[in-house]
Amino acid sequence: MPPKGWKKASAAAPAKTLVLDNGAYTLKAGLVAASANPSYDDCHVLPNCIARSVRDRRTYVSSELYQCRDFGELAFRRPVEKGFIVNWEAEKAIWEHELLDETAGEGLRCNPKDTNLLLMEKPNCPKELQKNCDEIVFEQFEFRAYYRCVGPILNAYHPPIPPSLSSLPQECLLIIDTSYSDTTILPLYSGQLIQAAVRRLTVGGKLLTNYLKELASLRHYNMMEETYLLNEIKEAVSFVAPSAQQYTTDLERTWKGRLGDKRAIDSSIVVDYVLPDYEGSIHGYARPHDPVQSRMRRGLQPLQGPREDVLPLGNERFAVPELLFRPTDIGIQEAGIPGAIMESLSVLPEAMKAAMLTNIVVVGGNSLIPGFIERLESELRPLVPTEYLLNVSKAEDPIKHNWLGAARFASQPELLKEVLVSKAEYDERGSTWLAKKFSWGER
Amino acid sequence: MPHVEVLPNSASVAAPGWTYVVDNGYDPSKIAINPKDRKRAATRPGGPRGENELSARQQIAIARRIAELERDNDPKQSIPVPGKSSVPKTQNARRIIQYQRQIKHWLDDEIAQLQQAPPPPPRAAGPGARTAAQPLRRASTMTGPPPTPSEATPGLVTPGIITPVLGNRPASDIDPLLSVDSSIPAPLRPAELEALLSAPPLSYAASHAAPPPSGGPPQRQFCDNCGYWGKIKCLKCGARICGLECKDAHEATRCLKWA
Ligand SMILES: [Zn+2]
Ligand SMILES: [Zn+2]
Repeated sequence: MPPKGWKKASAAAPAKTLVLDNGAYTLKAGLVAASANPSYDDCHVLPNCIARSVRDRRTYVSSELYQCRDFGELAFRRPVEKGFIVNWEAEKAIWEHELLDETAGEGLRCNPKDTNLLLMEKPNCPKELQKNCDEIVFEQFEFRAYYRCVGPILNAYHPPIPPSLSSLPQECLLIIDTSYSDTTILPLYSGQLIQAAVRRLTVGGKLLTNYLKELASLRHYNMMEETYLLNEIKEAVSFVAPSAQQYTTDLERTWKGRLGDKRAIDSSIVVDYVLPDYEGSIHGYARPHDPVQSRMRRGLQPLQGPREDVLPLGNERFAVPELLFRPTDIGIQEAGIPGAIMESLSVLPEAMKAAMLTNIVVVGGNSLIPGFIERLESELRPLVPTEYLLNVSKAEDPIKHNWLGAARFASQPELLKEVLVSKAEYDERGSTWLAKKFSWGER
Repeated sequence: MPHVEVLPNSASVAAPGWTYVVDNGYDPSKIAINPKDRKRAATRPGGPRGENELSARQQIAIARRIAELERDNDPKQSIPVPGKSSVPKTQNARRIIQYQRQIKHWLDDEIAQLQQAPPPPPRAAGPGARTAAQPLRRASTMTGPPPTPSEATPGLVTPGIITPVLGNRPASDIDPLLSVDSSIPAPLRPAELEALLSAPPLSYAASHAAPPPSGGPPQRQFCDNCGYWGKIKCLKCGARICGLECKDAHEATRCLKWA
């Protein structure tokens, strides 16, 4: 039996909902009013970390990082691991700093006691971590009402293409979420996740950055403490080879050759990344490869003029993002994204599989790597029965897209009131009940 | 300046610690990734280890390296939360905020719990269906009772009609041996749909994609030093290298590093 006053608490939803996509790398956050028409511009992207510099001896909490001018040897503490909130001491400090206290940005600060929280999580979150999260949300932050769900599900609430007037979720939608922590395949039917068909690849943006860091440190300089810089370099120079054949060609073109049989390096691929010195420059940049410059690199700096450190990048440019398509290249025993998509779809009835293939939407930061969508399409096509249509699209803003789907859902009071649980209900029934209520198909 | 130092890269080691490798399609999908899983490794089909398969030591080395690449936080570093933090408001909150556990501890707990209490039979039927505790693909022919829709369902679930979507190929293009019936997917049965939608989430471990099919292209082998094709195998650690120059560099840097 629902407790007394249950209907009333749910029906009188307050005006604003904090929509929070709590990613490992960044928080995507924004307040959404009932019947608003949210857009990407309403989404704030905030680093989900506490960083400390041994050089300026400062500690940066979340958006304070935007003021940082020296990213050298910057160390990070991230409350989210493998996509799930693990360290609540740090996450609480970041939420307070960015969302609740006077340090919160304009348009973000809220009082939890009169705000709903729509918290988006990754699929397959361990139940104990979900319970911790629910308890913190109601017992520590005391949000007025709360809903927690797998974030990408709410992409079903984007208007379909071609547009329709219906407020119903899209019927069949296959979301590929390739983000910092990992890459997940999520088939959605009428706004519900088909849990048995969710598949996950270990490879995400974090692994790619760490891999580039490892390669650069092995081949050129020890950069193991330069995570921030290597992420910046990855974003600046990476591309996905259009096919396995082209990968082979590019690998030949970037090879130095053997002793006694040196090859001229093809400078259409190799670039030099000019490292920032964190005195005159905060960010580096890529420029065409200069072999003379490269020979001077090892200790032979000019006696006059500014010192310049250059990191040449050849096969690293395409071998690093290649892991999304060939995790076995470094020994991860998983199929690449196209194979994982087909594995996921193999769980579904044929008619649903065919419909999913016509509506694949890619979200997450890795989809910004040039060539990603083209490679995905060209590797998927031969795996799909020839008579099926295949339609792969990239979200307009892959980083904010999950958030916008959720914001569109949250702006519709009739949808929101179906799922929100009030603090009064939680106090009455507890976290075990709440976990059951939020989980799919389980009683 | 970022913190950079030039690495030693020109050590000369005289010992011929390498061998040419005939690459006849080593199949990584037959190798257990978890080096602790000796039982599975021992009982895998295909008999004794061939020339191109990985030694137990190499498997451990690969697993360690992947764990390193996957890490979110450096356990050696502790960055305190700056300023005065607000007081935990309840006992629960205090306990949760004080946890210093990492994700691997929570995932190990999840695996241990699933082993203690086997999950109910899978409700979703299908060739790739899995249960929460089942990390590997296993065909299932079980179908559960028609489940009741969850009260947590957002929005409406309308078992709509999925129209089979076919390309615009002229009929003459389609293999005449394929009947029209077999090329158009059968419509969705409501019971099947209900079973799919109400199946519980997989555990984290069970959600990982399977290895590529064994019939697919063989695993590519790269030079451990420069990233070009790894045509030569280091006898000390089994890593691949492209030639003598990289062999020297490999021995000076990463040889046996992860072992
Ligand atoms: Zn090499
Ligand atoms: Zn070696």
